[in-house]
Amino acid sequence: MTYYLVKRLAIGLLTIWGVVTAVFVVIRFAPGDQATVALGPDATVEQVEALRHSLGLDRPLLVQYFSYLGDVAALDFGESYRYGRPAMQAVLERFPATVTLTLTATVIALIAGLLLGVLAGQRPGSLLDRAVSTFTLGLQAVPPFWVGIMFILVFALQFRMLPSAGGGSPAHLVLPAVTLSIPFTALVARISRSGIAEAMGEAYVQTARSKGLTERSVLSGHVLKNSLIPVVTVVGLQLGNLLGGAVVIETVFAWPGLGSLLVSAVGNRDFAVVQAATVLIALCVIVLNLTADIVNAKLDPRIRLEAPR
Amino acid sequence: MTLRMRRPLSAVAATLTAMAVVAGCSFGESSDTAGAESDGDGGAGGGTLTVAGPIAIENLDPHGAASMDAGTQLAARAIFSQLVISTGSGEFEGELAESWQSNDDASVWTFSLRSGVEFSDGTPVTAEDVVASFERVLAGEGPLAGNFEGYTVDAPDESTVVFTAPSPDAAFLGKISSFFVTPQVENDGEFFSAPVGSGPFVVESFEPGQVLQVSANPGYWDGEPELETLEFQSIPEVAARMTALKTGEVDITWSMPDDQIAELRADENLTVESVPSPGVFTMWMNASRPALADPAVRRALWQAVDFEAIIESLFPETGTPADAPVSPSVLGYAPQEPVQYDPDAAKAALDQAGFDYENTVIEWQYSQPQFRNFMNAVASDLAEIGVKVEPTNKEQAVFLEDLLALNWDMNMQQIGSQGYDAATNLGRLYTCEANRIGYCNEELDKLLAAAGSTSDVAEREDLYAQATEIIWNDAVGMYPMFVEQPYAWRNSVEGFTPVSDGVPYFHEVTVSGD
Repeated sequence: MTYYLVKRLAIGLLTIWGVVTAVFVVIRFAPGDQATVALGPDATVEQVEALRHSLGLDRPLLVQYFSYLGDVAALDFGESYRYGRPAMQAVLERFPATVTLTLTATVIALIAGLLLGVLAGQRPGSLLDRAVSTFTLGLQAVPPFWVGIMFILVFALQFRMLPSAGGGSPAHLVLPAVTLSIPFTALVARISRSGIAEAMGEAYVQTARSKGLTERSVLSGHVLKNSLIPVVTVVGLQLGNLLGGAVVIETVFAWPGLGSLLVSAVGNRDFAVVQAATVLIALCVIVLNLTADIVNAKLDPRIRLEAPR
Repeated sequence: MTLRMRRPLSAVAATLTAMAVVAGCSFGESSDTAGAESDGDGGAGGGTLTVAGPIAIENLDPHGAASMDAGTQLAARAIFSQLVISTGSGEFEGELAESWQSNDDASVWTFSLRSGVEFSDGTPVTAEDVVASFERVLAGEGPLAGNFEGYTVDAPDESTVVFTAPSPDAAFLGKISSFFVTPQVENDGEFFSAPVGSGPFVVESFEPGQVLQVSANPGYWDGEPELETLEFQSIPEVAARMTALKTGEVDITWSMPDDQIAELRADENLTVESVPSPGVFTMWMNASRPALADPAVRRALWQAVDFEAIIESLFPETGTPADAPVSPSVLGYAPQEPVQYDPDAAKAALDQAGFDYENTVIEWQYSQPQFRNFMNAVASDLAEIGVKVEPTNKEQAVFLEDLLALNWDMNMQQIGSQGYDAATNLGRLYTCEANRIGYCNEELDKLLAAAGSTSDVAEREDLYAQATEIIWNDAVGMYPMFVEQPYAWRNSVEGFTPVSDGVPYFHEVTVSGD
């Protein structure tokens, strides 16, 4: 276990280095100059050059790269020219809102998804199964952006039940979290359904039944536990996509998260903020994937965290 | 100079996030609950007003990188004071300045400051503060600096400030009306997260890009505002912003797209009003490209588009056909003979000029998504006579770089005239030296230089009229539409005055129970 963790940590660091490098390269080679954007169309060539110099953009790329790597290693992500303060500070301020949104959406997706999965998977091929499958397919197909706007029109405008935009109170969280959870709910439902359907036919389930266990305890004690493994794996991997979705959803609902910050930072070529945000996100993905692996090992002793010898 | 109106560039961001995907590890609350407060001190008794414009307030530093963003200007007008503000064509009102004058060639500008004005922390506003603020702009790393290249500033005494231009600059008042005076501060970073100013409101809390909360400044030199608190919210998505207005979460919004306005009008709780703005749809044609070098060709292309019909269907609320490159609310406006839609004449003129229909594809660049439908309509009219035009959407940073490099055949922008003065539009963009359009005409240069170097208003109007005639007849660009600035507010709001540049003031507003 320790060996495994050390190895995973090393891979994690390597991944972060890769992300830092990739973002650095992409952002430097993307057309559109930071100094030009900052100074606008009326600046003289001299002014642009002066700003490029003070931002260090006139140094050779490799020099910029290594000095940046050094700074990142020292946890210094630089100053956001747009916000006039440390980039990581701006990012960390927005981070909790995105975490709240993403986690809430995940919880909703897990509960709703598993519920649907159990309903459908218990009797594969039944009318209920087909109804649920069609429904989840529909959920996967609708664009979250559109759903978000529909939710606003129905729940905020028509029924005046929930606020239409902004952050701050739990009420503000409901619409964006539900919207964000929709494709994820469908995914969890479909995966757990096939896992459950498959397990229902396995010999150990027959055995459990023949022991005289009730259908409920067969389901919770044997079927669910085994069919959860692929769900956990997928949740771990999909949390990444969830943040991609959060960018759009945060914009629709004016949710004060990382997504909207990242969008405007890219537009403004605010390199420091883009880099700080992507490193933080990468870090989270690595931690989440590791967590998913550990949870899986707990669920299924056949999955071993030791390296093969 | 125009305010930068930006929309999020979701596509690019999506790519980036997909690249470096993902989610969360800790918990917390980042924002205070928005809502009414009433600690009721001060003379303010006008309640809480919540407004949401189209552009987020990301930065409160009126001298820095975001200084010309509509969001920053909006906040600055609430928090700081200007020397002068422009109120219409060639008209200015003093804020910190009680009076001002220029020398004959408009190269030296002298301002006398109002006495007794204080920042909200009680320190007096002095000429030294004005000088320090201006020097901060000059040294600054923001778009305002480009307006004042080569300028010097001096404070001969406590209440006098003198600006000296390197060459005559009749548009100085227009430009300086985007300049705000802040206290002299050492540590900028911290200061501008909750800056002290001499404007009508004082910052209570600020979350960049999200919410700015301000309260009435009891010591405001022009009288304490009636409002107790004012909250600026950012709601980028139009449907959400319109809903928030209808539900009363927001009291005032502006710059709504045309397709939303009719619906807002139907709501009896709302007042909708549009005011003429300095904005003009401006479609430059790059005369340095061989295919567009001939004025007859440019003119013919203009003639081939039925702008009247397009405007009527796409901008029924906010568009009127234009008859000049600057709007009627701008000093230097001179109406021209409208270009009549006549596709047959256009085709004949292109044939005669030897236009190469086969091998010419005109790349027409733009960055703002709200132009898309308009541009597609124009392109399809041009396709009718066999001219191939390709609207090309570029991300803001790329657009700007290409714009300055003249890396386009046609360019689409809404261009305004800062300070309602043609000098900041025609005088700034159309000279050979500026090299912004690919068009160079010595006669025009002379007219624009003359108009920019006299403070005689009648003479300037005459010179701009001559310049406008050349620009119009040479079809430097197509100028199809004057833009109106729409506002909508709840009927509980009183005393709100829509302003034409889309950056409203709120210190005279009150709200009653809704």
